[in-house]
Amino acid sequence: MDITQSKKEKTEESKTTQHYEILKELGDCFTALGNYDSAQSCFEKAAPLAPDEAAPYIGLGVIATQKAQLEDAEIAFKVAARLDNKSSKAYAGLAMVAQQKNDYKHAFDMYLKSLELDPDNLTALLGLFQTSCQMGSFEKVIYYLEVYLDMHPADTHVMFTLAALYMKDNRPEKSKQLLVNILSLDADHKDAANLLEEVERSIVQKSQKQ
Amino acid sequence: MQNHPQTTEPLVSVLMPTFNRPKYLSQALASALNQTYKNLQIIVVNDGGQDVTDIINASNDLRIIFLNRKQNYGKAFSLNQALAEAEGKYIAYLDDDDLYYPNHIELLVNALEKNPDCGAAYSDLYKTYCRILPDGTREILSKIVEVSRDFDRYFMLYYNHVLHVSLMHRKDLLEKTGPYNENLNILIDWDMTRKLVFFTDFYHIPDITGEFYSSIGQSDRISYQQRRDKKNYANNVLTIRTTRPPKPWPKIKDLAIIFISGLFDQQAAKTIGRIWRYTFHPYKIYLPITPEDIAKIRTDMPNLIFVPVAPSADTSHKIDAALMQADAEFVAIVPSDFPVKEMWLEDQLYALLDSSDQMHAIEFDSSTDQLLAAVFKKEHLYYARKNFNHLPFRQSLSAAGIRIQKLLPEQIPFKFDALLEEATTEYKNGNWPLAAEIYQHIADNYKNQLWMKSLAADALFRAGRYEKASQLCRRVNQSRPTVDTLLLEAKLKKKQKDFLTAVELLENAQAILEGKNLVWT
Repeated sequence: MDITQSKKEKTEESKTTQHYEILKELGDCFTALGNYDSAQSCFEKAAPLAPDEAAPYIGLGVIATQKAQLEDAEIAFKVAARLDNKSSKAYAGLAMVAQQKNDYKHAFDMYLKSLELDPDNLTALLGLFQTSCQMGSFEKVIYYLEVYLDMHPADTHVMFTLAALYMKDNRPEKSKQLLVNILSLDADHKDAANLLEEVERSIVQKSQKQ
Repeated sequence: MQNHPQTTEPLVSVLMPTFNRPKYLSQALASALNQTYKNLQIIVVNDGGQDVTDIINASNDLRIIFLNRKQNYGKAFSLNQALAEAEGKYIAYLDDDDLYYPNHIELLVNALEKNPDCGAAYSDLYKTYCRILPDGTREILSKIVEVSRDFDRYFMLYYNHVLHVSLMHRKDLLEKTGPYNENLNILIDWDMTRKLVFFTDFYHIPDITGEFYSSIGQSDRISYQQRRDKKNYANNVLTIRTTRPPKPWPKIKDLAIIFISGLFDQQAAKTIGRIWRYTFHPYKIYLPITPEDIAKIRTDMPNLIFVPVAPSADTSHKIDAALMQADAEFVAIVPSDFPVKEMWLEDQLYALLDSSDQMHAIEFDSSTDQLLAAVFKKEHLYYARKNFNHLPFRQSLSAAGIRIQKLLPEQIPFKFDALLEEATTEYKNGNWPLAAEIYQHIADNYKNQLWMKSLAADALFRAGRYEKASQLCRRVNQSRPTVDTLLLEAKLKKKQKDFLTAVELLENAQAILEGKNLVWT
């Protein structure tokens, strides 16, 4: 039994406050609802309440990206990355901005950095996939999709994406295995069934050539 | 101008000491004057601080009694001065920088009128964290319910779990407790609530009916500054813990500690010092020693009773001599080299107090064959010694049919606190599913339901069990929404992609935080 003053004083030292938390959460929700003006107002009020927090700047960056204000978005994501250099979201934001500016190389690098910090960041994973397609290089995206699937073995969307990539990378056996797994999880997955047919044809053709 | 209204409702005296906080006094005073319960007498005592006459006059309300003292004598003196003027059936308290919500007095009066066995009632308060801006105004950052504990008499002897601003009690209880202790400079509120538990039960209303303030970084509270002085803090705690209000005590059983030593040496003095430091149940120590030893002892320790015995007196005779003088329902026999530490005695004592077993005593772990160290009901011990005093001590107990047992795990008191500590440790270690399970178990078995369910919901959220957390959080918010629990439910709704409901919950939390529920702001 130990209820002491020091325990209570710790609350005072807490990094963020409810005022900040409420504004940040409101900002996120308004963004999700497409009410960008309200969201922006919330993030702008939240930022000075917790000057060390990256989240409001990420929120502002996302809104600016949605409004196609790429310069503002880039500044906001850069501030966020400076405040928290471990923020996967900040680097994903910078990648999105670079991607929209058609700077695929920079976007690819930023998505990679984002995934190094958080292999679970689905936005970065899909962004990496898109830029890979745009650049015609799939090696790294396959690696990150595999890492992601280790953590989320039942994510059929990502499984399907990876199966398609295996096919493009001329690895039909691996693609087939994944597609079979998808269908065992979701027997009604029509895209998987169709691709499986295609993959099996490809395997047959490959063996006939040999 | 408002006067005492014509009513059959009991009069409530609100005591408001003030010292150098004119900036906040008018808001605090307004919160008292704007109560839904009107039959009030508000006694403002200026404790020698800046003149606040203009603020009092601006209120223009005849229910205010203003005592404008020029000298600073401290809060306890001010409260006693206010009590001397108080005519109410009930006493309530408000500090000059705190706030009542409009229903505060009404809720507490209703609780006391409906529960005449309870002479005191209390509600919950927000601890409001704020930043003081250059012009002195307060920017509100967080409002947190830090204390929401159902009444626990024995815990109150150890630690104050009733905030004074949330307390209302019958005025006539002060005839039993005596006035505020003017020798204390901190924790004077705990001294009073601790004394009240000797005489009455407390009724807990888990509604939030006010706020007290804490500024981030630097507290302007005098008590906060004085708490930082550890020696001063310890002295005040010791004074409070050794205070024994006049008997009879209808709600507390007294304890006599019979201290057995051969010679009164350094070891004995050290052990007695540790008893003074660590014992929180009210007690007196009975010290059977020779008159020569008594003459040598110089101590300012309170509640120490010397029992002169002959140099030839053995342990049994010493116990008998002390027992003759002991005026208590329970007795602990303690040897001079006893290892006294936190909860050294209360575990055994409270287990015995809760026991329905008629004839038994609970032995301390360090009890030996040479000297039995244990807690007894005094009547049992007295019976054994009166009828079998020709036998050595331990045999006399057996002859009287007193069963001696060690403390069993299921008898250990303060289970609520032990479980709460366990859950908190699991939570801090990131074992949220287990923490949630323990919080829920406490809520189901050890009262304090809203508090524990809120903690369980938070732990479930962190554990990623959003559906269960959401259900629990909804139930808590239906009973008593707080900023914290509304925020948590909003986060859960966000996870479930229900952004509209999340916005609604967040706006409710924001309204509370900004004080939009307060009529005078």
